[in-house]
Amino acid sequence: MAKVDLTIEICGMSGDGTIAAGGILNEAMSRAGLSVLAFDSYPAEIRGFGRCVTHSRFGDQEMQALSEKTHVLISLDDKESQSRTPFLAKNAVVLFDNKPPSYVEEGTSIAAHVEPDVRLFGMPFTDLAAAASGSTRGRNLAALGGFAVIFGVPPAHFREVIAKKFKAKGEKVLDANLKSFDAGYRYASEAFKERERPVLLLPEPGKDEERILISGNEAVARAALDAGLKLYFGYPITPATPIMEYLAKALPAKGGRMVQMEDEIASIGAVLGSFFAGKRAMTATSGPGFALMTELITHGVMSETPAVIINAQRGGPATGMPSKTEQSDLQAAVFGGPGDSARIVIAPTNVRECYEFTLMSFQLAERYQTPVIVLTDFFLNNRVEKVKIVGASEAQREDWNLYPDESSRGQYERYRVTESGISPRAIPGTEGFLFDATGLEHTEKGRPDYSSEIHSKMTEKRHRKIRGALNDLPEPVEFSSGEAMDVGVIAWGSTFGSALEAVLRTQQEGMKVGALKMMSLFPYHAEAIRAFMKKCKEILIPELNYEGQLANLVGHLHGKDVVRLNRTTGMPMSPTLIYERIKTLI
Amino acid sequence: MSEEHFIVIGNGPAGHHAAVTLRLEAPGARITLISKEPHGGYRPHLLPKWISGNIKEEALYVCPVEEYKNMAIKLRSGQKVVALNPGQKELVLDHKEVLRFSGLIISVGGTPRIPEPLLIFKDILFTLKTLEDARVWREEIPRVDSVLMMGGDLTSLAVTKALLGLGKKVYFMVNEEAFWPLRWSLSLFEEMSHRLQQKGVEVLADQRVKGITRKGDCDYEIQIGRQTVRVGMIGAFFGLTPDVRFLAASGLRLDRGILVDEYLYTGFKGVYATGDCAQIYHPALRDYWVSVGHDNAVELGRTAALNLVGNTVKAGAAGKCIFEVQGIKVNTSWWTEF
Repeated sequence: MAKVDLTIEICGMSGDGTIAAGGILNEAMSRAGLSVLAFDSYPAEIRGFGRCVTHSRFGDQEMQALSEKTHVLISLDDKESQSRTPFLAKNAVVLFDNKPPSYVEEGTSIAAHVEPDVRLFGMPFTDLAAAASGSTRGRNLAALGGFAVIFGVPPAHFREVIAKKFKAKGEKVLDANLKSFDAGYRYASEAFKERERPVLLLPEPGKDEERILISGNEAVARAALDAGLKLYFGYPITPATPIMEYLAKALPAKGGRMVQMEDEIASIGAVLGSFFAGKRAMTATSGPGFALMTELITHGVMSETPAVIINAQRGGPATGMPSKTEQSDLQAAVFGGPGDSARIVIAPTNVRECYEFTLMSFQLAERYQTPVIVLTDFFLNNRVEKVKIVGASEAQREDWNLYPDESSRGQYERYRVTESGISPRAIPGTEGFLFDATGLEHTEKGRPDYSSEIHSKMTEKRHRKIRGALNDLPEPVEFSSGEAMDVGVIAWGSTFGSALEAVLRTQQEGMKVGALKMMSLFPYHAEAIRAFMKKCKEILIPELNYEGQLANLVGHLHGKDVVRLNRTTGMPMSPTLIYERIKTLI
Repeated sequence: MSEEHFIVIGNGPAGHHAAVTLRLEAPGARITLISKEPHGGYRPHLLPKWISGNIKEEALYVCPVEEYKNMAIKLRSGQKVVALNPGQKELVLDHKEVLRFSGLIISVGGTPRIPEPLLIFKDILFTLKTLEDARVWREEIPRVDSVLMMGGDLTSLAVTKALLGLGKKVYFMVNEEAFWPLRWSLSLFEEMSHRLQQKGVEVLADQRVKGITRKGDCDYEIQIGRQTVRVGMIGAFFGLTPDVRFLAASGLRLDRGILVDEYLYTGFKGVYATGDCAQIYHPALRDYWVSVGHDNAVELGRTAALNLVGNTVKAGAAGKCIFEVQGIKVNTSWWTEF
C-alpha cells in the first residue's frame, strides 16, 4: 500500500503564476523523493483570461493516472478556484489568500464554497510577497512557502528549484522570488501550529537520483535528439509547440537545425525530403495540422520514404479545443489520406513510452521505409512524470537499411519486390544506385506504371511490408491473472493509465478483471488481442472520443459487440468512471 | 433584503441547537453556522470520557458533517468572525468576507480562563475546552503518571474522574477559585474535598502556587505552600472567559460577556446572544447571570432561535440552581454528578 498518495491542485487566473508554481512544486516534491504525475490545464489564450489549473499527484509508488480527488487546493484566485471544490477529497486542505486587497462580498471567497470537513489554511500571500520583495508577483511562491510548512517538505528543495528556474532572469528576480517563498515559509511556521498540520511521510532521500522529471513533450524531443535527429520542421500548434521550442534550442548544439515552415504541408514535405536525402527528420503537430499533412503522408507511403510524425491529439474536429485532451485522431492516423496507404501508427501510454516510442519511430521509419505516426494526446504531451531515461544505443542511432547490397550496383531496383516487402534503400546521388522516386504508382525501378499488374503487385508489397513490421512493434501487454475473466479492458494512449488504475482496483476487490495495453495501433497484433478477448466474457474499451475509434478498429476480433465507454469532456478519462462501468458488466 | 438569512456564530451546544431550531421554525430561511473550530459540532461535556477512552471519537459529534447539508444549514467551519456591525446587519470573517444577515445569534462560548498570577505559566498549563485540547490530553496522558489539577471548575471534576480511571495519580488544588462556577462556601469545599479524597485524589487544600520548575520532558516540580509536588502534567480549570473581544467595537453592551435581557435579546433588532457568552438579565435578581453546562446551553440555544423568529420565550432552566461566583450569578445544577 502506498504511504504517500497526494494530489495537489494550484488554481489561478492566467498571469497568476499558477503554471510556474506547479512546475516548482513538482520539481521540489521530486527532489523530496516522491514519484510525480502532473498535468496542467490552461486556456487556449496565452495570457490575460481564463483559468489555469495544475494537477499534481505525488506518491511513493508509480502512478498510472491522475487522481480524481484533490487533497490540497492552493487557490491563487478564489473565483476561479471555486470550480475545483467539488473535486476536494474528504478532509482536504485548502490554502488561500485570506487578506485580499479589499473586503469581499459573501460567496467571493473560496472559504464560502468548501465543505465543513475541509481544513482551511489562510495566509496573506499578496501582502507577504509585497512586503518581502516589493512586488505582489511572488504571491505564488509565498503560497508554496506555506505549503512547505504545512506538509513538512524541506524548504531547501523549493529554494533549489526556484534558484534554478529564475537564475537566468538575473539576481534581482531570483532574490525577489526567494524572498517571497521565505516570507510564506516564515509566516506559516508561526501561524499554523505543528499539530494542526497534516503529516506527510517522505521517502528516504537520495533514492531516486536516476529518475528525472520530464514532460511528454520533453521526452519526445529528447528522444529525437538521442536518436540523432538532424532536422526538425514544424509549424506551431498546441499542444505540440513545446517540442519545437525544445528542439529550437537543443538541436543546433548537436549540429542540427530547427526550421519553422510556412505550414504543416511544408513541414511534412521537408521531413520527407530530409529522410529521402538520408537525414533523420521529424515534425510534430496536432489535429488540424495533421489533416493538412495527410496527402503527403500517403506520398511517403507510395514513395516508401521514411518520416516521423508526432500527432499530439487535442479536442476536435477542426480547430476544436486546442488546450483540451482527446483521442479522436486514431482513425485519421490509421486511415487518413487517399488510397490504400498503410502506415505505422504507435501510441505511447505514458511519458517513458513517449521517449521510447519516439526513439523507436526513427528505426521503424527507416527499416520499413514508411511514415511512422506517434499518436500522443494533450494529456500525455503536457503531463510530467518522474521517469528513468535510459538513452539511445549506438544501434538506435544508426540509419537502418540505408545502403543496398553492393552487388546490385548498376542494376539497382529501389522498389524491388522482396519476401519481406522491404526494398533496398539508397540515398539519391549514390553512384551506381540511380532510381526514380515518385508519388505515381511505379515499377521496381521507380518508373511510373499504371498497369493493373504493377499496382496490384506493389500495393500487396507495401502492405506485406507493413504487416511484417509487427515483429518490431510493441506487443500488447496483459495485466491479469491469466485466467478467465468477467471483463477485459482494452485501452490505448493516456487512457490506459486510468484503465489500469480501475482494473487494479477491481482486482484488489476480488473481481475477475484484466487489462490489455495496446501500443501498436497499426498494424496491430490481432492474434494477441483475440487471445485476450477469448478469456473475457465482456470487452470494455474506454476512449476519449465519441464513437469508439479503437473499438471500431479491433472490436470485430471479439466475435460480439464490445462495450464502449466514450467521453469527450476535454479532460483525461476518469479511473472511477471505468471502475463503475466494469462493475455494471459483472 | 428579500431573503431571510440567519447566521449563528459558534457551533457549541447552544449554537448548534439554535441553528437546528431555526431550521425547524423557519424552513424557507437561509441559515449559516460559523465555527472557528475546523470540524462539525460536538458535545464538549463528553470530552473527558473520550480522553479516558470510554467513548469513541464518533460519539462526540452531534451529527456527521454531511448532516448539516441535509438540514440545509451552511456550516462554515474553521472560519472566524472578526467584526460585527449589528446596526448594519453585517459581519466580517477573518478572510475579509462580508456576510449580511437578517437575524443573528451569537453563541461564541468562551476560552479557558487563567488567573492573573498563573499567566506566566500558561504555556505549560493544559486546559480543556475544545476537541483540539482533548487531542492534546490524549497524546500527553500516556506519557505521564501523575497530574496536578488546578482550579476546579466543572470540567475539572470530569477530567479527574477520567484520570483516575486511567490509573493516574491526581493532585487537586482546592481553594476559593477552585469551584468556578459554583459559589464558594465552606460546606461546598468540605463536601468537594471529601468526595475527591474518597476517590483517591490527594487534595491540596487552600494552597497557592509559588513556583513551577520544569525538570524535564513531562516532569514538573510545583511549589505549593510549603509542599513540593512533582507531576507529569498540570491542568488548569478556572472556568471560561466569554470570547467576545471581537465585539468590542460592535456597539453591543458588554460586561464579561454580552449583556442580554431575559429573552436573550441584545437590544439590536434581530440580534441575540446565548450560551456561555451571554450574561442574562434576571428580573427577580435584578442582576445578570451566566449559564454553564451542556443542558443549559442547549436550552438557551433553542430559546434564542425561537425568539429570533418572533416568539417570546424567557431564558431560564426551571428547577436549576443559580450560583454566584465572583459577583456573577451562575445557573447550574449538575456538579454533583461527580
